[in-house]
Amino acid sequence: MNNLVYLIPLFPLAGFLINGLFRKSLNKPLIGIIGSGAILASFVVSLVLFFQVKSNGALPVEALFSFINVHDFKIDFAFQVDQLSSIFLLIITGIGFLIHVYSTSYMHDEPTEHFGRYFAYLNLFVFSMLLLVMGANFVIMFIGWEGVGLCSYLLIGFWFKNNNYNYAAKKAFVMNRIGDLGFLLAVFWLLAKVGTVNYHDVFTAESLAKLTPTDITAITLLLFVGAAGKSAQIPLYTWLPDAMAGPTPVSALIHAATMVTAGIYMIARSNVLYSLAHVTQNVIAIIGIATALLAATIALKQNDIKKVLAYSTVSQLGYMFLGLGVGAYTGAVFHVMTHAFFKALLFLGAGSVIHAAGGEQDIRKMGGLKKYMPYTHLTFLVGCIAIAGMPPFSGFFSKDEILAAAYARSPILWGLGVLGAAMTAFYMFRLYATTFLGSFRGTHDQEHHLHESPAAMTIPLVVLAFLSVIGGAVGVPEALHGHHELHHFLSPVLTTEVAPELGHSTEYGLMAVSVVLALAALLFALNKFSKKPELGEPTGFGKVLANKWYIDELYDAVIVNPLLKFADFLKNVVEKSGIDGIVNGVGRFVQYLSRQLRLLQSGQVGNYILFMVLSIVVLFLVFWNQAIILQFLQKVF
Amino acid sequence: MNAIILSAVWGVIMMFSSILFKNKGAFKYIAAIGLIVLTVANIANTYGCDFFNINTHEMLRYTRFGLFFNTIAFLCTLIYVLLSGKEIEKHGNYVAEYYALIFFVLCGVSILTSFNNLLMLFLGIEILSIPLYILTGSDKRNLKGNEAALKYFLMGSFSTGLMLMGIALIYGGTGSFQIDVVRSATLFGTFSGISFLEVAGLLFMLVAMAFKVSAAPFHFWTPDVYDGAPTVFTSFMATVVKAAAFIAFIKLFEVRIADTSAVINWGMLLSLLIIATLLIGNITAVFQQSVKRMLAYSSIAQAGFMLFAVFSLNDFAKEGLILYAVAYSLATIGSFAILAKMKDITFEGFNGLAKSHPVLAATNTIFLLSLAGIPLTAGFFAKYYMLASVVKTGHYLWLVILGVLFAAVSVYYYFRVIQAMYFKEGDAQAEDVTPGFKIGLIIVAALIILVGIYPQVVLNWLYF
Amino acid sequence: MPIQYYIALSVCLFCIGIVGVLTRRNVIIIFMCIELMLNSVNLLLVAFSKMYNAPAFAANPASTVGIDGQLFVFFIMVVAAAEVSVGLAIIVMMYRNTHSIDVNFLNRLKN
Repeated sequence: MNNLVYLIPLFPLAGFLINGLFRKSLNKPLIGIIGSGAILASFVVSLVLFFQVKSNGALPVEALFSFINVHDFKIDFAFQVDQLSSIFLLIITGIGFLIHVYSTSYMHDEPTEHFGRYFAYLNLFVFSMLLLVMGANFVIMFIGWEGVGLCSYLLIGFWFKNNNYNYAAKKAFVMNRIGDLGFLLAVFWLLAKVGTVNYHDVFTAESLAKLTPTDITAITLLLFVGAAGKSAQIPLYTWLPDAMAGPTPVSALIHAATMVTAGIYMIARSNVLYSLAHVTQNVIAIIGIATALLAATIALKQNDIKKVLAYSTVSQLGYMFLGLGVGAYTGAVFHVMTHAFFKALLFLGAGSVIHAAGGEQDIRKMGGLKKYMPYTHLTFLVGCIAIAGMPPFSGFFSKDEILAAAYARSPILWGLGVLGAAMTAFYMFRLYATTFLGSFRGTHDQEHHLHESPAAMTIPLVVLAFLSVIGGAVGVPEALHGHHELHHFLSPVLTTEVAPELGHSTEYGLMAVSVVLALAALLFALNKFSKKPELGEPTGFGKVLANKWYIDELYDAVIVNPLLKFADFLKNVVEKSGIDGIVNGVGRFVQYLSRQLRLLQSGQVGNYILFMVLSIVVLFLVFWNQAIILQFLQKVF
Repeated sequence: MNAIILSAVWGVIMMFSSILFKNKGAFKYIAAIGLIVLTVANIANTYGCDFFNINTHEMLRYTRFGLFFNTIAFLCTLIYVLLSGKEIEKHGNYVAEYYALIFFVLCGVSILTSFNNLLMLFLGIEILSIPLYILTGSDKRNLKGNEAALKYFLMGSFSTGLMLMGIALIYGGTGSFQIDVVRSATLFGTFSGISFLEVAGLLFMLVAMAFKVSAAPFHFWTPDVYDGAPTVFTSFMATVVKAAAFIAFIKLFEVRIADTSAVINWGMLLSLLIIATLLIGNITAVFQQSVKRMLAYSSIAQAGFMLFAVFSLNDFAKEGLILYAVAYSLATIGSFAILAKMKDITFEGFNGLAKSHPVLAATNTIFLLSLAGIPLTAGFFAKYYMLASVVKTGHYLWLVILGVLFAAVSVYYYFRVIQAMYFKEGDAQAEDVTPGFKIGLIIVAALIILVGIYPQVVLNWLYF
Repeated sequence: MPIQYYIALSVCLFCIGIVGVLTRRNVIIIFMCIELMLNSVNLLLVAFSKMYNAPAFAANPASTVGIDGQLFVFFIMVVAAAEVSVGLAIIVMMYRNTHSIDVNFLNRLKN
């Protein structure tokens, strides 16, 4: 039964190949069925494997073939399905499948060829993410890591005729590449010191003994650079909001099921290393909370429905890194899961809204959609409540677990976290109120166009809403008389997890504070924006927030522009006059020499023979005087 | 002995066949059959089956190296005959005689690859050269052909005189014409323990051989003769004949110079020749307007590379020379076969060939890439072996650097043709290109790539 | 007579031949000069042959030591004759086309 493992990535790969190669000859329903069916098949296999893992523990590592084999250095193309990866497999294929189904309807207006291309990319995306998660060593993970980056580039720039979208795609790719460099360096470092990249071999006491504390800190920090690139942390987060250029289901896929969770997965996977590097842990925690707060503040003033969600993703990812930083690996994975549910829900809901509003993304031109789109409204509301952390919705449990662990590490982290949570509740309900409550503010045509989305779109919404509500049940903490099944399930992998030693009363207190604050923010936002949405241009500090703290401008000024100037200098000055000059000079010299030398060939036999005779004389002279010539040459050189 | 006797006999058969057959097209096939017979007989000889057991008193000595080169020469000639047979037929009424002359040249080649005596070397060179004088002037009405024949003949005879002087002096110094005889250093003064006469003789031989392989500064005949001779015969002269001359060169000097090199620095003279040859061949080719003349200069440049083998004189050099002979002959035969079909043989004449004759353009590209020594073609390994042989000697590494630099220059003029074929607008015209011709070209190109990927395919024959 | 005299004589003849080739413009005369070079070599070969033969001859009149030098001379003569026939044919061909036997008359191939 174990050989089912390779089927999981095989289905999406097959889907990619079929849709990619035959996209011109297939029709749309068939493309949709192939694309979604491939993921569904993977999901079913993942489910089977999940239950196997649940009952029997991790499956043995399955080596398909030897990938790199040089002397005594060997890397297998191997898959590892254990507790951690099986959870991720379910998230990726399950939510991926819903997004595929949703896409069949959402992308229906595209021409068949592009429709096929879209599904091919989507399948490739899922395939890469599956490789990333299933790989039994860092190299396979890196293949998936790069594949995910590539697919995000392809999908963000899916509408490649718009240059801004291409720019966004390029930005995502470059930011990811910076992170990838860190990842790659870490893998090389690991290889150099330990000599292997297999998880099973690296995370043993024997291998870890080969690493000095400096090595571990450096490796973990470099890995974190990679994670920051993929999972959009400071300072590499700016690509994620721009990635909204892609079709909305793609955003859902990037933000919920794939891509951004890669960093979390990788650090959770390497928890053994991270637990040995306290410096790195602190860095991660600080960057995580800083990202959470920064993104939350930016989200407060955004008016593009997808931008708000994008910054909220960055912010939530910050929470996950906070969890990783304080050693609550289960909490982080838990939050990945619940976040996948409600963020996919919110994005797909937003897609539904955009679909209905005829492509409009500005919430200032929406409002009152409640009565036009009942399903979308209801499910979106569920998503908002879940992300705001209201019990007993899923977001509450996961966020609370992270915050509790943060409190155990430092109350300041907790305080900042609660502040962020309150801001989350505020901006989410600002978004909700502005979009669905009040009255419609768009043009008459748009109003006429408003309609509920078709079933292919609403059914995934309902499923996700259901999951968002009950998803927290797997991780109910003991303080609330739960068993925290996720924790027990993951404990064989997340061996270095530190459970916060807080009394139950403290935990109750922490929960109460965060819930009350979030609820207050929620009600305030609901009250403020349902009647009188904020429609004007922001002023003062709000303007700074609306412009995202001018981070993009800062990057442009500090990094991009100097680089461009330098490149300009190289291109116009160094290359034009320097290198080109040398190259052309050589060329001209050869041509000149050629013109002169050919005159030797005078066409007169007499001259030829004369030259030959003279040459013979010279040869004889050289030969008989070679000792003198050699001495002379040795003196010169 | 098989190759020498059979090639001479088949030459006579070709002459008589002109009486028997009136159809011009038939000769090509008779020649092809003769070449196949020669190849088979030579391979039989390689594996110990000599049909004519004649005691040559060690004047001829058959080695694996020489016999294998014979095979290469016969096969290349076979390819040449099949590809360019039509062109030979166009050259007048003496088709059979042209083939007869080609067979006599091959007889000279066979002698040159097995000589062990200076007399045989001299006879081989002459048997090789005299038919070529005739072939050069075969187009009797063409003034360029006349001029080329006259120049070739005068300079060729002059170099024969030099060679004979060298042979006589060596004889005076050693008392024998055998090339591996122990020298007597007693006569007429000594030069570092070697007879003065012998050293002088060897210098004359060096000059004469340098002339035959068109090494600068004794190359002057090459561009004019290659340019003036009918294109088909240029193709033959520039490939099989030149490679054979190199085999003779290395055979002669491997025994004589290798022995004396301990006390005399031949490296300096040879490196002078190499530098001059590379410089003149490559640089002058840059300026040419006619592709034919460019190829003539490029053949001088290629000779410069082959001289590396004479310079280093080790096993690597011999293997490399065989490889070079194959790579260079195949590419040049193919390239000239296309050139012979072209209406206009200037660079402009090739403009837009890729549009009108894509197969010709594609195969010609492969030939030119091989000549330039681009990897994945046979020419790359040929050049590589040559340079590596010098590296192995451990001295004169700057020669290798120079060689690489000039190889880079050579890319310029070869790519000019490719550029004209693919990137320039024009209506290049080629005459009667038959499907068979195209298939032949494709086979030659495939061989070049095969050798370029797996050179052992050729080199293994040297040993097994 | 010492061998040096013979060597000097044939080298002189050889040089005269070379100078003749260089200075004359009439193809026939150039050709004759080349023949002169060949014949100087013949002379040299015969001299060397005799030189190697002499000591052996004194011991045994039937000795063939050094006889190969003289044999070589015959080969040179034969080859020279063959060369002459081809060369004269080429000269005749040129004369037919241009009515000149000036070596510099034909000068189309250059550069």
